Amino acid sequence: MVEESATQALLSVRDVSKAFPGVKALDHVSLEVTGGVVHGIVGENGAGKSTLMKILSGVYEKDSGEIVYEGRTIDKITPLESMQMGLAIIYQELNLVNTMSVGENVFLGRFSESGGRRGVHAKARKLLDSIGSKVSTHRMVSELSVSDKQMVEIAKALSYDSKLIIMDEPSSSLTADEMDKLVRIIHDLKSKGIAIIYISHKLDEILGFCDVVTVMRDGRVIDTRPVSEMSRNQMISMMVGRTIENEFPPRPESVGETILEIKNMNTRKLKDVQLSLHKGEILGLVGLVGSGRTELVRALFGADKVAKKSIYLDGKPVEINNPIDAINLGFAMVPEDRKLQGLLLGFPVEQNISLAVLIRLTKYGFVDSSQESVISDREIKALNIKTPSGKTRIRTLSGGNQQKAIIGRWLEMKPRILVLDEPTKGIDVGAKYEIYLLMKKIVEDGGAIILISSELPEVLHMSNRVHTISDGRVNGEFDPAVASADEIMAMAFEFA
Amino acid sequence: MSAVTQPLEARRSVSQTVGNFLRDNPIYVAIVGLVVVTSIVEPKFLTYSNFDNIIRSAGTLIFAALGMTFVIMAGFLDLSIGGIISLVAVVTVTLIDRVGQGPAILIGLTVGIVCGLINSGLILSSGALTQAESLFITFGMSLVYGAVALMYVQGVTQFLTYSESDISIFNAINSGTIGFLSVFTAMAVIAFVILFIIERRTYMGRAVVLTGGNKIAARLAGVPISKSIVMIYAISGLLSAIGAVVLVSRVTLADPTMGTPYMTQAILAVVVGGTALAGGRGSVLWTVVGTFLLVLLNNCLNLLGVSSYVQFMIWGIILITVIWLDTVKQARVRG
Repeated sequence: MVEESATQALLSVRDVSKAFPGVKALDHVSLEVTGGVVHGIVGENGAGKSTLMKILSGVYEKDSGEIVYEGRTIDKITPLESMQMGLAIIYQELNLVNTMSVGENVFLGRFSESGGRRGVHAKARKLLDSIGSKVSTHRMVSELSVSDKQMVEIAKALSYDSKLIIMDEPSSSLTADEMDKLVRIIHDLKSKGIAIIYISHKLDEILGFCDVVTVMRDGRVIDTRPVSEMSRNQMISMMVGRTIENEFPPRPESVGETILEIKNMNTRKLKDVQLSLHKGEILGLVGLVGSGRTELVRALFGADKVAKKSIYLDGKPVEINNPIDAINLGFAMVPEDRKLQGLLLGFPVEQNISLAVLIRLTKYGFVDSSQESVISDREIKALNIKTPSGKTRIRTLSGGNQQKAIIGRWLEMKPRILVLDEPTKGIDVGAKYEIYLLMKKIVEDGGAIILISSELPEVLHMSNRVHTISDGRVNGEFDPAVASADEIMAMAFEFA
Repeated sequence: MSAVTQPLEARRSVSQTVGNFLRDNPIYVAIVGLVVVTSIVEPKFLTYSNFDNIIRSAGTLIFAALGMTFVIMAGFLDLSIGGIISLVAVVTVTLIDRVGQGPAILIGLTVGIVCGLINSGLILSSGALTQAESLFITFGMSLVYGAVALMYVQGVTQFLTYSESDISIFNAINSGTIGFLSVFTAMAVIAFVILFIIERRTYMGRAVVLTGGNKIAARLAGVPISKSIVMIYAISGLLSAIGAVVLVSRVTLADPTMGTPYMTQAILAVVVGGTALAGGRGSVLWTVVGTFLLVLLNNCLNLLGVSSYVQFMIWGIILITVIWLDTVKQARVRG
């Protein structure tokens, strides 16, 4: 259905609603996007950002409301039609075919129309050059970094003469340099009159290079303003629906005696690692990807073999050969990759929580399943996990609630040492704060935490001590109350 | 007002549930439809002797499929059961004259368990955690067990009835009754009940399903993945061995290649029942249903005079359809 409409805006969304069984995902959402503008959209997980994007790209159908793009009313479109109309979406989990070359990906499905093999590579080269990317069009996509893959996606969007490019959390796995490159490209696209919808959790990015920002919460648009009229704190309080005084609670201050010591730990990756951890302490570990921080956690959890006398608990050497040994000694871990290493996505919330404690609910081989429900209900309530019931599949929960369930899994065990590997990755501000409070409570109850995080502010505000790790060595110790972010990053980047 | 609307809504939700079930399980519907058609066009179908025949032909398959259910729920496969059934059959029959029927059966069952332990040992020591790896390893072992069976009897079929010793246990399994139940049915019910309790009530049963759900996450949360793997293959080996004893009792001979067809049939019975081939979701209860659906299908097609070559093709189509439907269903759940 196409009809004329007289608006200046490139895209206008009017009163669009969409309901899923049990959830009102979008509630009369209205939004206007103008050409040549970078339009940021922020909101907690579950605020409705992804649903809105999926309606725009034709993945979902709206229940009511009107969408007008370039003066045409859009009613029912398929993802392919939306792309051909010049509306491109670059998803977080990039939609490229890994086993094909860059050029073939840019002109996917249009190979012969685009001049066959030679034409495709020549045209793709031109598009990539126009955004300053030097990646060869003959390389396999599987060999590319996330940043280069994004460039290919942008080139693909440009090949359709897109007027509107939607980027969904594009920065979540980019390094600082790659991020700078992306910002330059965004500015460049903007100067060509292309509109960009930029979805992100990182408020600094919104404030840094967006022109307009829309805040969403619970399926509604709370406000749309020019970025110049929006402060960081205003954005946060609109997102969470209440005023948050600080992004971080005050750091815990009751550090006691040493419980864990690592002496001369060596693996293929780690070199003479020395560490100590005290009761009631949060120890921050800062290191780049590949610095050895993941290997350190693996060693503590028995995944990598280490020499006999390298881990000491309460002054006595201990041997950890597998995760079960580690758990029996009082270790607990929230792994880096929530979906791959943490969750059983197709299982109920209840079973995801009871996972670790299940063996303790077992007598003569039989599981006490009524106790299992009691325990999970208790954690769901205590951690404020938002779920219709304990029987709901955890797949349907937001990232923050999933993460809380994984932490809740360990709380019943009363862990002595909790390792948190990127605990707030991809989680919204409100849930982050709840996780920080939870961390504080765990150490106040006598536990100790090793916090690994790429978000430096988080490490600086939550830790009692910070170690940097670089090239397999622990090469620096800082007091986060006095150390600056620059000093710490300098050590993390130092190569021996 | 509300008193009137409530039963209406309840009725709607029942019809909705039935509707969803029919949509999710078209194979059930198709087979039940075929049974209805057969019972109309072929009067022999609804006779006592035919039903007796159906129960009996479920014999070996139901044990093999029950064992396979745990393997598949944990996200693995066991293609070695064909080899195990052949090996256990020839070992048991040849030992009757030497050690007596009871010890021969016990040794046969032990061979089944040992084969399962060898499978799990190979999987654990090679660090194979994917279904595909388990598929290749157990397929390789199926060839090995089958070859051992052939070498052991020099390729010669062993007849149970040529035995000079007492074979009363085999006769009892084939035709004995306990009250109104046949011995064979009682064995199948006991095996099912034990496995069902393990699945629903015990920690090991939970560990198996959790392993199938996400091996990495379960391992990091302290679930003993290695023990699950050992257990599922040992159970699969033991149940295949029981299936072999039942088979020997029924056909009164042991042939070193007789187990081969059960490999595909067992997997088919499990997935037709509704257990997800990807692991993490399923039940031995469903497998019982799946087994009987397959046996009914086989019986109907025989009565209708469909050639066994066409039947093979139908099984293949069913397997593909079931896997395809499961993928579609998963995609819908994910949204």
